Amino acid sequence: MAQFLQATVYGLLQGGLLALIAVGFSLVWGVMNVVNLSHGAFVLAGAYVALQLHDAVGLDPFVSMVPAALLLFGFGYVVQRYLVNLVVNGPIFITLLLTFGLELVLVNLMLYLFTADHQSIPTGYAEGSLVLPGDVRIPYGRLIAALLALALTVALVYVMRRTRTGLSILATGMDRGAARLMGIKARHVYALTFGIAAAMAGAAGAAVGAVSTFSPADAGRFTLFSFVASVLGGLGNMWGALYGGLVLGLVQAWGGQLLPGTLVNAVAFAVLVLVLAFRPQGIAGKPFYASRLEV
Amino acid sequence: MSNRAFAGAAVVALLLVTTACGSKQAPEAGGDSGRLVLGASLSLTGATAKEGILTREGYEVCTKVVNDKGGVAAGGTKYQLEIRFQDDTSKADVSAQLVDQYNDQGVKLILGPYGSGPTDAVAAVVERNGQVMADSAGADNKIFAKGYRRSFAVLSPATSYVASIVQAINDLATPKPKTFAFISADDGFSKTATQGGISKAKELGFEVIAEEYVPNQTTDVSSALTKIKPKNPDVILGSVHLSEGIAIVKQSKELGVRPTGGFGETVAPPIPDFVKTLAGSAEGVLGSTQWTPKTAGSERFFGSATDYAATFKTQFGGRDPVYHNAEATAACLALVLAVEKAGSTDPDKVRDALAALDTPSFFGPIKFTPEGMNVTKQMAVIQIQNGKAVPVWPADSAEAPLKWPATA
Repeated sequence: MAQFLQATVYGLLQGGLLALIAVGFSLVWGVMNVVNLSHGAFVLAGAYVALQLHDAVGLDPFVSMVPAALLLFGFGYVVQRYLVNLVVNGPIFITLLLTFGLELVLVNLMLYLFTADHQSIPTGYAEGSLVLPGDVRIPYGRLIAALLALALTVALVYVMRRTRTGLSILATGMDRGAARLMGIKARHVYALTFGIAAAMAGAAGAAVGAVSTFSPADAGRFTLFSFVASVLGGLGNMWGALYGGLVLGLVQAWGGQLLPGTLVNAVAFAVLVLVLAFRPQGIAGKPFYASRLEV
Repeated sequence: MSNRAFAGAAVVALLLVTTACGSKQAPEAGGDSGRLVLGASLSLTGATAKEGILTREGYEVCTKVVNDKGGVAAGGTKYQLEIRFQDDTSKADVSAQLVDQYNDQGVKLILGPYGSGPTDAVAAVVERNGQVMADSAGADNKIFAKGYRRSFAVLSPATSYVASIVQAINDLATPKPKTFAFISADDGFSKTATQGGISKAKELGFEVIAEEYVPNQTTDVSSALTKIKPKNPDVILGSVHLSEGIAIVKQSKELGVRPTGGFGETVAPPIPDFVKTLAGSAEGVLGSTQWTPKTAGSERFFGSATDYAATFKTQFGGRDPVYHNAEATAACLALVLAVEKAGSTDPDKVRDALAALDTPSFFGPIKFTPEGMNVTKQMAVIQIQNGKAVPVWPADSAEAPLKWPATA
């Protein structure tokens, strides 16, 4: 029983981290209909920013989430405004190609700048754990990461639903033509959305650095997890990535307990297939957004 | 739609034309140019980029040292050594394609890629094309059970990776542990290494209480650890690569998994990233290694293992070599010695000379079985002590005694 409880707790925490990684990906896909294959590289960039800050001035990785997010926001804004925006009206195939190319460039740039070394950002507390009855452990680092995922999601929901900027982002996502007629500058809104997504990726990267290891080769894995979490959770709902991440984390944890460990990923993708078959819009997604996927 | 179809057809046509232009060039390797060209496809990006780059460094040391010493003498000609590198992006099929392309370019002598998967794929191509491969990092015994006659591995086979750690614990640990738990990545090499370790453990009278498999290159092994924890093993042995190896130690700490003896892992502990990312948690972890600077043997190009370490250090800004560097250099050395012995760059003659090679070296003895494995060489076991990988087994090349129990 304690073993099952431990797997569940760890799965939920792991899911929180996955949600943090996926939330920006889901936002860009939902609003702009761009499947950003360079998202994983943005996450890594955040991790490297946090690592540099740690090495230079000894900044705690969870504190580094703020500067990493700010830097990545600027980068994301510029990349969207002057690069992705060129093809944002094109078929999804073209945006896939462009963001895939961008991923290759970024990953190789990081390989050049930081080498292929595996890195992690040491903290005195991240590997320590809160011990519950039955020796069930809650690692502090992962707990903080999961709580931050929750906090960032709540903040995102607030911004989207309660602020003028958020509403203009949602409006542009629903009907760009109508939004422009209302005086919204779609180009700016798209760049802002991409910037926010990149900022969240950067923050997630700093958290990954604190609780796990990373190297430039991990970009693809982060993008894949984001994709699965976004589809599971559903597009067009800011809670989607959180739900998706948590479900993915739990499925992997339970799958790992009940089946041979090598089937963990197969189980996660089997759940994805099931959700797509029976609820194509995802757990919390809106059919409107799912229907656009057939572009 | 028709426009798109046209564009697609145009791209495909262009690709076909460029591919056609790139193939079937006239052979250029060999004697007439005074250069001995070797081809290597390596994982310079992707999942095993770290290890791929270490392998490239080993090949580069070989080029520099051999050329500084006048090059390769064969059939009355001195050849300057040149190695061509291509990035296989850590994918076995790409590796095989690249070696096929080398063949088209007339490059018949091949240095192995990093890892058993790519090496297995390349070995098939090498056999078909009549090329010859000196394998530096493909240790899975299964590669050599297919009847290939043109691939030769300088390194000890996969079955000795975990088995050597088990043997070291048996020989050196007091109090002697009773129970072992095995965590293995699910790739061919790691599984073969695990089976070798389990057989050795049973042979020596240890009890194997868990055998868990995790996805290759994962950073999350929590499921395996959660299953192992209630069984309280004395030792946890990981047959893994760097990322899984780091995860085992890191997540064991998170989950409160504390084997009374300690941890042992293949591949990961000798790589400096292991200590760098885990800091204090890496202390006491045992690791198996193909080579240490204490390995016995020498020959005229590189001298002894200590000489090799000094040469490497000079070439790479004061950095110490790890075994991935050494095994790559050793594979290159084997080809160089074979070319000299054959007195020719003809692949068939080099193949026969390689098969008959029997020489001491900085990497230990290089001698191949008819299948192409090097079983004469013994693996060594290191332990992380004060942040350094210190050789502790076998006794004749140990630098310090084993600290046991290894968990601080």
